Amino acid sequence: MTTRTHRPEDPRDAVAEHGTTTEDAPIPFRRLLRVETRKLADTRSGKIIAVLLVALVVASVAARATVAGPEPQRLIFTAGIALGTLLPVLGILTMTGEWTHRTALTTFVLEPRRHRVLAAKCVPPLVATVALSLLAMLVAVPVTAVAAGVRNVPATWEVDPAALLGWTGTNVLVTAMGLALGALLLNAPSAIVICLSAPMLWSAAARLGPAGAALAGWLDLGATSAPLMTGDPTWSDGARLAASATLWIVVPMAAGLVRVLRKEVT
Amino acid sequence: MIEFRHVSKDYGTVKALDDVSFTVEPGSVTGFLGPNGAGKSTALRILAGLARPSSGTATVLGRPYAEMACPGLRVGTLLDAGAGHPGRTGREVLTLGALTLGLPRARVGEVLGLVGLTERESRRRVGAYSLGMRQRLGIAHALLGRPEALVLDEPVNGLDPQGIHWMRHLLRDLAGAGCAVLLSSHLLHEVEQVADHIVVIGQGRVLAQGTAAELGRDGGLERTFLELTATTARTAPPK
Repeated sequence: MTTRTHRPEDPRDAVAEHGTTTEDAPIPFRRLLRVETRKLADTRSGKIIAVLLVALVVASVAARATVAGPEPQRLIFTAGIALGTLLPVLGILTMTGEWTHRTALTTFVLEPRRHRVLAAKCVPPLVATVALSLLAMLVAVPVTAVAAGVRNVPATWEVDPAALLGWTGTNVLVTAMGLALGALLLNAPSAIVICLSAPMLWSAAARLGPAGAALAGWLDLGATSAPLMTGDPTWSDGARLAASATLWIVVPMAAGLVRVLRKEVT
Repeated sequence: MIEFRHVSKDYGTVKALDDVSFTVEPGSVTGFLGPNGAGKSTALRILAGLARPSSGTATVLGRPYAEMACPGLRVGTLLDAGAGHPGRTGREVLTLGALTLGLPRARVGEVLGLVGLTERESRRRVGAYSLGMRQRLGIAHALLGRPEALVLDEPVNGLDPQGIHWMRHLLRDLAGAGCAVLLSSHLLHEVEQVADHIVVIGQGRVLAQGTAAELGRDGGLERTFLELTATTARTAPPK
């Protein structure tokens, strides 16, 4: 850029002299990542979701300790109930926000390679999911100690690292499902309804005789990801998980990507 | 330089744009004039790479917008001042833009100064902004990257007389600095006062183009505009 006196109130300072702009390198992915991370928490609703997630993790671990006793692994898994419900919503809102508020109009004007924006959007909720899972584990330690002290019983400190890893994996999967359904539908209410009603529909399907039970056993992501929490899933468990993850994550994400790339932004 | 070459856009059987061709030279302001529904926004969205033309090409600074490495540093766009997350502050909207483009944070304060939004206003949520303030915020966003070309869809809508006066001077100054400015409007008088060049569009077709002086002959631009669009407008063109 040529030397120019710094007078921001002068509009001519706003434009480059014709042909002098040299910055024409693509936007680095880390910059998109930073922007999309920032968007998660720069509105009131974003902050509320963040606070809610942290509060629910802490509260569910602490509340379970009052009835279940000092067993950290059980306390940690309790946090999964709240996370399993809210993490898909976080994923959905991350993906649909640009369309709900029509900010896609500015986002895709600054980065016309829309797939890069979508990729950048997926990362922060997935990282947040792992962080929240770790938070549950951290909180469980003092809560277990306190519960043992209060109840005057010895704490059961044995935890199965594979089971905790598997549990974190189930959380990552529900977040990914939210992201995929959000990308496919680009409409938060319908995606949230599908996510929240799916477990009910599957439990109804499972009661429709052997065929329904078999279907649910292969396609209900909640059921197929459960063996991860045993820390010792079998190959058959893995196949079922792969089938349901394909249906709920891979297919909608791929279709959503195509849809977003082709969609006319208005 | 902004260039439309034989751009057409079909939505099923509806021709939203029909063989639109015109250019905007550097250092000039072109008014893109037409009644509501004439295809102005469609054309500008095609120009900004948000929609694909059925045929023809639209280029900015010699290239299709979406093929530029970082178009936000060369072309400023304001496509709909009404769009935006109501929960974000004006300053945050600009900060996100500056971060995306890799600009220093100080640039946010500079563009706020350029469009006359105060420090206090910038810390309010966009949901509480009037349309006029949103227009100013949108212009500020468009100016972030010190663009060589500006594409503005209905930037005068919702501005008070003071704001309109300010916008006129801003656009003239930007063009004076070498910027190619394209703005759409259905407000004849505004376009007449600010634009060097005018393109009149109706039902997706370019009905007339020329300098403001040429089109203003024989009773002024308003009469020309009404005559040109009388047969194509669905309703009387808004004043």
